[in-house]
Amino acid sequence: MLKKATMYLLVISILLGMSLGVFAQEINLTLWHIHTNVGAAQNTIQDAIRRFEADYPNVKIEEVQIINDEYKTKLMIAMGANDEPDIFMSWGGGPLETYINAGKVWDMTDALVKEGLYDNFLPVAMDLASVNGRVYGVPITNMVAALVFYRTDIFENLNLNIPTTYSELLEVMKVLNENNITPFALANANKWTGSMYFMYLVDRVGGPEAFYKAMMRTDGGSFASEAFVKAGEYLQELVRNNAFPRGFQSMDEDLAQSRNLLYTDRAAMYLMGSWAWGTIKAENEPLLEKLDFFVFPGIEGGLGDPSNLVGTPGDNYFSIAEKCEHKDYAVKFLGYLSDEKAADMLIANGHIPPFGENIDAKITDPMMKSLYQAVSGSDAVQLWYDQSLPPELAQVHLDTTQALFGLEMTPEEAAQTMEQAAKRYHGEN
Amino acid sequence: MKALDHLPWYRRPGVTIFLFLAPALFFFALYVLAPIPVSFFYSLFKWDGIGQRSFIGLENWKELIGDPVFWKALKNNVTLVVISLATQLPMGIALALLLTSRFRWTKLLKTVYVLPYMMSAVAIGMLWRYIYEPTFGLLNMFLEAIGRYDWILDWLGDPKVVLYSVINAVNWQFIPFYMLLFMAALVGIPLELYEAAKIDGASPWKAFWTITLPLLWPTVTNAAVLSLVGSLKYFDLIHVLSGGGPNHASELMATYMYKRSFHHLRMGYGSTIAVALFTIGFVLSMVFVRVTSRKQYEGGDRR
Repeated sequence: MLKKATMYLLVISILLGMSLGVFAQEINLTLWHIHTNVGAAQNTIQDAIRRFEADYPNVKIEEVQIINDEYKTKLMIAMGANDEPDIFMSWGGGPLETYINAGKVWDMTDALVKEGLYDNFLPVAMDLASVNGRVYGVPITNMVAALVFYRTDIFENLNLNIPTTYSELLEVMKVLNENNITPFALANANKWTGSMYFMYLVDRVGGPEAFYKAMMRTDGGSFASEAFVKAGEYLQELVRNNAFPRGFQSMDEDLAQSRNLLYTDRAAMYLMGSWAWGTIKAENEPLLEKLDFFVFPGIEGGLGDPSNLVGTPGDNYFSIAEKCEHKDYAVKFLGYLSDEKAADMLIANGHIPPFGENIDAKITDPMMKSLYQAVSGSDAVQLWYDQSLPPELAQVHLDTTQALFGLEMTPEEAAQTMEQAAKRYHGEN
Repeated sequence: MKALDHLPWYRRPGVTIFLFLAPALFFFALYVLAPIPVSFFYSLFKWDGIGQRSFIGLENWKELIGDPVFWKALKNNVTLVVISLATQLPMGIALALLLTSRFRWTKLLKTVYVLPYMMSAVAIGMLWRYIYEPTFGLLNMFLEAIGRYDWILDWLGDPKVVLYSVINAVNWQFIPFYMLLFMAALVGIPLELYEAAKIDGASPWKAFWTITLPLLWPTVTNAAVLSLVGSLKYFDLIHVLSGGGPNHASELMATYMYKRSFHHLRMGYGSTIAVALFTIGFVLSMVFVRVTSRKQYEGGDRR
């Protein structure tokens, strides 16, 4: 009798256990992002995942990290194969719009309002992931501007001043080269790295309008206009004056081949997005004491204001796929990714979060404060070309710019190639 | 076959053979045969791979014929084919002879030489990337240490050098494969032939030309076809090592196809390159097989 009772008990408990398993069925959300380096944004994301999973034990977030340049391709293929992750990172702008137009990205505007998240984000940053006022992605990591980081000790030893004009820059480069120090640490296999020089030169020559008009195809704007040709000429003058290290065209930014030169006293300057501050902090913290930054110098007689910046008000955008089956949880997770704890962690790691309140007061590090002031105080922030242009044209821009760096195309040829591609894309001929 | 006539249809040998082959045939058709016409179909469209396709007829093909980068990639492929054939096969034979000659270190050396072939192309790519690194790389550091500053090159950044740097790494990867192939063939040559040659007073050099090489010839032609086809559709190491750059200097047809498809989001044009790559590879290897097999036949005695 007792035996029978235990048997029943056993069977019942097994059945109960099984049914509980059914009720507490796990929900899986996949999340893709590019933060493969330990430190910086990676902790913030993983911390948000931990806190979210603790509060919602039935949801599991499967995090996949993919290195920067591969990420863009992998996401694209996943989108084409209808196999996209539930939550994914992008840089907003043109590429994200391709996915939005294909109906791949969820319009999260109403959900953000409902969750009380909508007003948490910086409006100007939100614009980059919005179409017709509808929001398709929220900015998480960083307000970014490309700045010239430089080694203060090298500048002091050689009695160099921060160059404020292009001709002063050439002078500084000359002294550095005479002392066997490479002026700029640049790794240009990635192409977007060299693009920063070109974007600044175009801005300094022709002002922000030059690119805007060419991109929007208005007011006779053209990628073959004088600003682009002149910028190409200045760029090649920098190359001819040994601004860049030996082999820079094959060096990989993702492998830190540029920063290694900075770390080993072989290069003095480094034009890079302000995220570099966080990267260097994670890689080589002692160096930060010998590091400062200035804004890319102006050009005598150019139309662009030398305080204009190239960058983005929000760096990494997180979007939710249209085919995600648990959008409610995904939005809740984005809340964790953009709450006060996340903001604090980002700041501690050298990022300026484009969300949250009193960010200004939270930043205590003097260097980061001046970064923040530079980014938020600039009149015009030019968005990266490769994010504002549609992917096809962005690639042509990157390819022609790399060819300019290699002295394999004349500025005139590069500008014409870009303009022809733009004309074909817009069906103008 | 007469004796089998009493069997029901499903037990006849032909049917059995077909049934055993069917699964492999199915996947071959699905993943190898079917994509060929499908790619041609896509090559008639302007398509970003995600959104709507729009039919543009032969526009992509017209563009391909006038595309200097494609011709450059084709030229690079031909260079890769020629250098691969001229170095990988002789080196493979030389190493195979060395390792079948049984001196003290052969066992250890065999393992050492095969290692590159065991590594994944991505690992090899990363390895050579660090060897070729312009400032801190093994190669330039070594040249600096021995004082040959004039030999220091920008191995992967100089458009005139990069293709050869990359081909060198490709050779490093594939020579062990041909070495293994030739070693297997060498073991099959009866030792009596060499003994007879020795008795007749032939030098080892003469023995190589009159015994080893003729008996190795079928393997050599097979290896050459493998090398030819492999070089024409080569992709992985180039993709990791130089990405076809800088500015297409080391571009191959396959890397160019990849870039146009997945970086420029032009699936239609990418498919056009893919079909062109397939056609060129198919025709060239057919011609090659025809030419070499006729030679074998004329040689008379096939073993």
